[in-house]
Amino acid sequence: MTSSDDTRVSRSRYNRECAARAEAEKLLERKSRELFEANTALSANSQQLTEAVETRTAELVQALERAAAASVARSRFIATMSHEIRTPLGGLLGMIDLLAMDEVDAGKMELLNYAKAAGTGLSRIVNDVLDFSKMEAGVFVFEEEDVDIRALVKSISMLYTSLGKDTARTITLQIDDSVPQLFLSDATRIRQVISNLISNALRYSTDGPIIVRATATPHAQGALLRCEVEDHGVGIPPEKFNDLFKDFSQVANPLTVAAQGTGLGLAICKRIMDGLGGRIGVESKQGAGSTFWIELAVTVVSASLAHSYQGSDAETATLPPCIKGKHILIAEDNIINQKMLLAYAQRMDVSVDLAENGRIAVEKFAPGKYDLILMDIAMPEMDGIEATRQIFAKWPKDSVPPILALTAHVADAIEGESKQVGINRILSKPIPYDELKTALEDTLCLTSITAHAAINTPENQISSVEDLLLAEMQPVVGENLLNIFSAEGLIDLADKFVTDCKVRVELLIVAEQSGDTDAARKQGHSIKGACLAMGFKNMAELAKRIEHYPTSSNEVPLIEIAQELSKKVDKIDTIISK
Amino acid sequence: MKGTIFVELIKMAENAFGEDTVDEVLDKADLENDGAYTTVGNYPCSELVKIVVAFSEHSGTDAETLQKMFGHWMLTHFVEHYPQFFADKKDAFSLLDSIESEIHVEVRKIYPEAELPTFITERTTPNQMMMIYASPRPLGAFCHGMIEAALAHFDEKGDITSQVNITIPTVTNFEITLQS
Repeated sequence: MTSSDDTRVSRSRYNRECAARAEAEKLLERKSRELFEANTALSANSQQLTEAVETRTAELVQALERAAAASVARSRFIATMSHEIRTPLGGLLGMIDLLAMDEVDAGKMELLNYAKAAGTGLSRIVNDVLDFSKMEAGVFVFEEEDVDIRALVKSISMLYTSLGKDTARTITLQIDDSVPQLFLSDATRIRQVISNLISNALRYSTDGPIIVRATATPHAQGALLRCEVEDHGVGIPPEKFNDLFKDFSQVANPLTVAAQGTGLGLAICKRIMDGLGGRIGVESKQGAGSTFWIELAVTVVSASLAHSYQGSDAETATLPPCIKGKHILIAEDNIINQKMLLAYAQRMDVSVDLAENGRIAVEKFAPGKYDLILMDIAMPEMDGIEATRQIFAKWPKDSVPPILALTAHVADAIEGESKQVGINRILSKPIPYDELKTALEDTLCLTSITAHAAINTPENQISSVEDLLLAEMQPVVGENLLNIFSAEGLIDLADKFVTDCKVRVELLIVAEQSGDTDAARKQGHSIKGACLAMGFKNMAELAKRIEHYPTSSNEVPLIEIAQELSKKVDKIDTIISK
Repeated sequence: MKGTIFVELIKMAENAFGEDTVDEVLDKADLENDGAYTTVGNYPCSELVKIVVAFSEHSGTDAETLQKMFGHWMLTHFVEHYPQFFADKKDAFSLLDSIESEIHVEVRKIYPEAELPTFITERTTPNQMMMIYASPRPLGAFCHGMIEAALAHFDEKGDITSQVNITIPTVTNFEITLQS
């Protein structure tokens, strides 16, 4: 430095520093202003964003509310529609049942069978869709109650064998002793799943037995129950296993077309098993059949097997006499339903008092008067719930017989209230004959199980004749007749048939011999009708050949056919004369 | 160009030639703002060149040497005022590597409008680095001086060769070879 001794600063240096400072300050001010403006813009932006977020949130909330409302509306619509469809469908099915009972014309009977099959199919679809929509809406409720899997499986198999199609199908039950007698679970849902599996097994196989197995192994919770339903049908290719339990999926095969359905059945089963905390699966070999299984950990209520129960197990298959001659009160306002229930009751040999609404039911009821009350829920003036409540309010609890509710509504919806007022069980309307019968048996036979056991022996003797007779008949017709007439009635009917047939065969032969083949044909027609009504298929075939004689150019003489027919009538005669 | 370069250049000149000489040279240099620079301002690079040329004429030292000297001065200035950029570097190469990725990133946060040169570095061998310096300003020698100062800072010795790109005169290639 040249001027290190001089502490003063030159004027020009001073001016330069002042100018630099002035510039720096100016820059600072400009930057400050820019900063302020940037800040203002930023907060305006932020405010705008906040408002945008609020608007969006409000819009979303509104959209969500709308979607929720739409979903509720949709669920309600589906529930209402399925209810609306189920009611007339039940009426149709009931009327078909009633028509079928009195129908002797085989041609019309066939048509009625088709109508019934179509109606049942439709009913199954409606129920599936309803269940599915309930699951979608998350209102599918699971209960916990005592479950007797033996009785459950038995009643399902009875239902299916009695509803059987043209060919007789055997459902074999193999319930292992390891299976607890009673355990805690949801009987309705287990019934639904097993029922569905059996129904599938029947639909996807044309012959061979359906085997229902149940076993139990020890489990931390009590027992691990495993049920299997095995068929010998078309089977399923392994690559389709995963799709089976998906919604709306069906495995295509030659039987699918005949089987039809929504493809919801197994999806519903899967969801039910998920809901119960269990598993469902399948083992299958294409062409060799399938085994569907469910596994469920259950809490055991009662492990031991009552031997008396096993004894009566076989009995349940035939009509137990404990419902015969009982007196029941039916509260029902709908005329068609009244007619159906009355006809059903008549078939069961049950006498009936009818009440058109809840109020009349309360008036009519008195202790000791009825063995059971069938109570419709929705009725004018007073509904079934209120009527039940009033009956219990008026009379001591132990003097009121079992009350079974009938409802076309979704059973879950009224379940809580029903139990509260004292209704024993809820039956879903439209109720098929067999289900009503089973329900009545279940309820009434409990109270008369001892009486049932006492008349065990004579019943067995009769059943041997009846079994021989049934062996001659088409299973469907035989079961039906047995249901309507009981064993004694059936034998009596067969007796009348034999007498009638013998006379007609005589007349037929006489007519043919006198050259009046036309008159002989007419007799053939009448005999055919009677044979079909009784389910004697072979005889009906012979009668048909007479009716349409000659059916071919090389047909044997009519008299020979008549003699063959006569021999068969004699065979029936021998059976019933035992 | 950032005002800090001008301020530091004048400081270096005062240190080297004394305040009176600096006053005199600046008066003669015919500068736009008579040499009143502030670190927060921005000034044209041509002014910097004018100052360098003026001092070169005054002292007889050539402009290139002055620029290199100034490179040393600036690196010292940076070490003093921005020690955070040096703290975690173990050698000159890692410092040069970090110019683009670290230092310039920080500079842009404070001076978004700054026109910064680019430095592309590539290590050809563990002992050799290629650095491509691209800038619209004719300050290759200044850059050279900074590289020398960086080596010195880390107590390293090396040879630096520089070559202006023939086709693009604003680009200078440096090759730095460490002496082992």
